[in-house]
Amino acid sequence: MIKKEHRQINITMVLKVMGWLLMIESGFMAIPAVVSLCYYERDCVPIFTSALITLIAGFALNKGLHPARTNMAKREGFLLTAMVWVVFSVFGMLPFLFCSTPLPLTDAFYEAMGGFTTTGATIFDDVEGLSHGINLWRALMQWLGGMGIILFTLAVLPMLNSSGGMQMFNAEVTGITHDKIRPRISQTAKGLWGVYFSLTALCAFLLWIGPMDLFESICHAFGTVSTGGFSTRASGVCDWDSIYIYVIIGVFMLLGGVNFSLIYFAAHWRFGPLKRNATLRSYLKIILLMWVIYAVAILIDGFADLRNLTVYPLFQVLATMTSTGYAIPDLKIWGPLGLALMVPMMFFGACAGSTSGGAKIDRLMVMVRYLRNSVKTALQPNSVAVVKIDGRVLTPDLVSKTVAFLCLYVIVSATGGVVLAAMGVPVLDSFFFALSCTTNLGVGPDAAGVGPGLAAIPDCGKWVLCALMLIGRLEIFTILILFTPSFWHK
Amino acid sequence: MRIVIAGAGEVGSHLAKLLSNEEQDILIIDENPERLFVLDSKYNLMTITGNPASIQGLKDVNVGRADLFIAVTPHEDSNMLACSLAKAMGAKRTVARIETYGFMEAANRPLVRGMGVDHVIYPEYLAAQQIITALRRPWVRQWFEILNGEIIVVGVRIGDNAKLCGMQLKDFAYTHHNFHVSAIKRGHETLIPRGDDRIQAGDVLYFTTRREHVEDLIELTGKTEYRIRRVLVMGASKIAVRTVALNKGEFKFTIMDRDREVCDRLPMRCPEVNDIYCGDARDPDTLVDVGLDTYDAFIALSDSSEANILACLTAKEADVKKTIAEVEDLQFINQAEGLNIGTVINKKLLASSTIFQLLLDNDASTSKCLAMTDAEVAELEVKPDSKITQAPVKDLRLSRDMTLAGLVRNGHGMLVTGNTHIQAGDHVVVFCLSGALHKVERLFS
Repeated sequence: MIKKEHRQINITMVLKVMGWLLMIESGFMAIPAVVSLCYYERDCVPIFTSALITLIAGFALNKGLHPARTNMAKREGFLLTAMVWVVFSVFGMLPFLFCSTPLPLTDAFYEAMGGFTTTGATIFDDVEGLSHGINLWRALMQWLGGMGIILFTLAVLPMLNSSGGMQMFNAEVTGITHDKIRPRISQTAKGLWGVYFSLTALCAFLLWIGPMDLFESICHAFGTVSTGGFSTRASGVCDWDSIYIYVIIGVFMLLGGVNFSLIYFAAHWRFGPLKRNATLRSYLKIILLMWVIYAVAILIDGFADLRNLTVYPLFQVLATMTSTGYAIPDLKIWGPLGLALMVPMMFFGACAGSTSGGAKIDRLMVMVRYLRNSVKTALQPNSVAVVKIDGRVLTPDLVSKTVAFLCLYVIVSATGGVVLAAMGVPVLDSFFFALSCTTNLGVGPDAAGVGPGLAAIPDCGKWVLCALMLIGRLEIFTILILFTPSFWHK
Repeated sequence: MRIVIAGAGEVGSHLAKLLSNEEQDILIIDENPERLFVLDSKYNLMTITGNPASIQGLKDVNVGRADLFIAVTPHEDSNMLACSLAKAMGAKRTVARIETYGFMEAANRPLVRGMGVDHVIYPEYLAAQQIITALRRPWVRQWFEILNGEIIVVGVRIGDNAKLCGMQLKDFAYTHHNFHVSAIKRGHETLIPRGDDRIQAGDVLYFTTRREHVEDLIELTGKTEYRIRRVLVMGASKIAVRTVALNKGEFKFTIMDRDREVCDRLPMRCPEVNDIYCGDARDPDTLVDVGLDTYDAFIALSDSSEANILACLTAKEADVKKTIAEVEDLQFINQAEGLNIGTVINKKLLASSTIFQLLLDNDASTSKCLAMTDAEVAELEVKPDSKITQAPVKDLRLSRDMTLAGLVRNGHGMLVTGNTHIQAGDHVVVFCLSGALHKVERLFS
């Protein structure tokens, strides 16, 4: 039953499906257009125009193409997943180009890519000056990208529910292995999006009953649960200076960094997986450890006020580890330690299967255990050492894949740093920004009062950062595989 | 439907793939994570590592919510145990793969049901049945009959000398009212034909017809009828033993096996066997010694698909009229058919036939199913008010991957044409390509 395998990639089919996805994006874009209209803003028209352009492009692709074959195999799945993030950003930047506070092309794309990949590095200086429509679109982009564009389409489009869809699920969802929570991929996608939606709604509600108004609480809920980090205020969350808001946003960032399938099970009163999960325990332990380090440093520095010891450092740790990138006002005074600790925190991020970025704590655990085994076998050549996670032995294949991933992660972000430095960006900023974009954190060293920040990055540097964000969001392999010759022919 | 499959062996994996293509919710549990890994990354299903015959394992797959529990591990006893446990934990229906005839006997059904095993699959028994049918009608590739042969589906390979060669199907239908060409297997593909398709030499055509017209097909397809008496079997496998046991004096079986010990024990396992030789049937000299040319049929049932195919080819050269090979690798089935090996036996396809039957019909008593490599034939009873009864067939706008071939109404068989209006209570024979069975099921319920 060996069917003749088609060597050529079915690019027409990929584009046709892309048409579907673009129509979905235009639907999302219509939301800020309507909101903008409700506020009687001039930006209503440009956003609506962008949505229309997206819709027409999507419709044309979908109806104009008649692929000879309709199958989507492994490679089509990879290609579509990688492409959809770029294409979505291209169309997603249209409102920024047309609006009443227009951005140049590079900046608009950087803003859009930063949105979809939940990096949350904003280019706008005067966020308060933006219209409601534009602000909502920024928040919505993150929200869509947080759980995943493909995952959303898998939940709503039954046509992708085939083995091609499986490949796209694997290509987009983060982590070493990809847990399914229900037997069919569309149910899994629906379950995860259900959890995501409920968390967001709850977060928005809790913020709204606090000191925020409805619009801002919705925008911040989008930015928090997706661990994106766009805000409607230039100084971010600290603008309100409210313990309540720090706590609510902190809690939801914490949840945004947890594997969503665990939240799904917990919501269905199944706590077994939650208790067994070693990654979750490590996640919480690392948060505590980092908090203690900060608290001790603050104590030594003599800022012994209760808020400075508890809320601020915890908030800062959560914002960094989950790659959200909201900042607290005092980070500047914490000095070098504040900045230095950010590097390992953003590198490893939070749990796999969450909306956070970074290389994920799951991989950190595999790495630590693997290194420990290596040391052990060096001393005891006859000992048999395996890597165990949650009581399950990981196959050597998976271990080596994980180690390879970490190597690639370092190589990719370091290369980005070198390229930026070669463009004349100060060395610290180059490497910090490169890592920060690869891990989808989006915060520059200027947040801690060091260096000029994003202003130091030239236009071509921003394109490099965009590439890093995408590579980081799709966890490297999905993008890297497109650049291997064997992907395209033979 | 939520289906739990216990055991990701050959049969389990095959079922999981097929059923996930049929849009069912599949959970598959096995102790070996490496076997599951491939399934998990490629197919739309969920895998769980665990022992399917343990309470913990069954809890992990949430067996209480399963509509169907299929135990297909290699061990009969763990299959029975798993089914027992699953049933007690709330699974709606359970199916176990078995290896002993006792569990299947009608007299023992209440006992087996009492253990919590609703249905059994016995692939070796099904294979033996298929072999006996093939030996009775040597010119036929596939034979599928419903309601005592009121409607019969016959798969025949079209020889070069057949009258039909080169004919367009619409012309064929015009001159031969008594046959419905339901599917064509050409090369590696099965097609549901249209009127302008042309019949080519080497095609396997699936005709649907009534019993009294079957004999006409022999001439139409350029075949000759002959009777089989002496049969040589290579490999003393379970299927071979079962086949000999099923035989009621029609055929004389001779079994060959390489293993001396197996040969020594064979008379005890299988007293009805005519002759036993110890020797390697892949060696042409041995075959000559056994007197291959004096046999009417040759059946290759060893463990290796390749050896079976090659041995059958050798037998063909020695002018044995009918050859039957057990081919377990699905990829090789089409190759084997292309090499003109008469009938191909595959345990996985036989097992999936049984499961499809269960999918189509809750108690599997009124339906029958035959799984082929990339298509299925099913018999279904039409329920009152189902979609299919709403209009004549030509107005139903059926999708292109299925066709209605024939039906039995009030015990009388007839072929389906565009003007046929299907009624409740009819038994309908449907051909569909793989992955379309759930569409058929929707039409009929």
